[in-house]
Amino acid sequence: MPNVTEGCVADAATGVRLATRSDESDLRELTSLAVQGDRTAIESLLGQLRPMVVRYCRARLGRVSGQYHIADDVAQEVCIAVLSALPRYRDMGRPFASFVFGIASHKVADALRSSVRSAVPTQDLPDGPDEGPGPEETVVRYIEAQHARALLSRLPDTQRELLILRVISGLSAEETGNVLGMSPGAVRVAQHRALARLRQLAELESIA
Amino acid sequence: MSYGDADVEGDVARTDAVLEALARREPVSGTDAAIRLLGALVADVDSQRLSSVSITPST
Repeated sequence: MPNVTEGCVADAATGVRLATRSDESDLRELTSLAVQGDRTAIESLLGQLRPMVVRYCRARLGRVSGQYHIADDVAQEVCIAVLSALPRYRDMGRPFASFVFGIASHKVADALRSSVRSAVPTQDLPDGPDEGPGPEETVVRYIEAQHARALLSRLPDTQRELLILRVISGLSAEETGNVLGMSPGAVRVAQHRALARLRQLAELESIA
Repeated sequence: MSYGDADVEGDVARTDAVLEALARREPVSGTDAAIRLLGALVADVDSQRLSSVSITPST
């Protein structure tokens, strides 16, 4: 059994998209090799999936004490669960990503139910000067992100999952459809309705 | 196809283009409150580094 360890930094702007149509078959082959225990294939597969799982967990669980430690821990649990389940995975025609996000959805639900979110982690000391946005911009962004989470939580489950997978995890309409069992066309119509609903909720709150 | 259908299809396509831009972490302009909120959530989620998993042989 391989060990799962924290590794290097993946830039936020990279690794957003899982696969284009042209390399979907490569991903399927990679999955097949990973299921057979090929260590390089497993690492490559997880390397592609993990940034999207992290974003999904962060979007669903939010920050605790200003940090994403809990969400990132849950994402790590998802990766470990995927690793454990790999030998039993059978390709039934649906993409591997739908299997992964199915596990992620359950792990997030477990985390929301548990009291683990009451933990108060300490903040890591920075390695160098902070080149991020200033405190005012950070606070505004934080408040707006929390507001977005609150409004997303009021959407029907499918609409919320669709917007998080499509926008936050960064899946294409095709990939989102694969995960949710919808055609790309149905995803495009559903995401339009979900965005309209989100807009409506935001406007109602601004009036109230 | 009626004018209304074409109109709706255009709206659906425009929404898809904006969401695609957000998904690709490209800048999106405009005053749409829903898009602004989703953009803020994207920025917040991406603001802390994303650690990657490495697989090492067990010893």
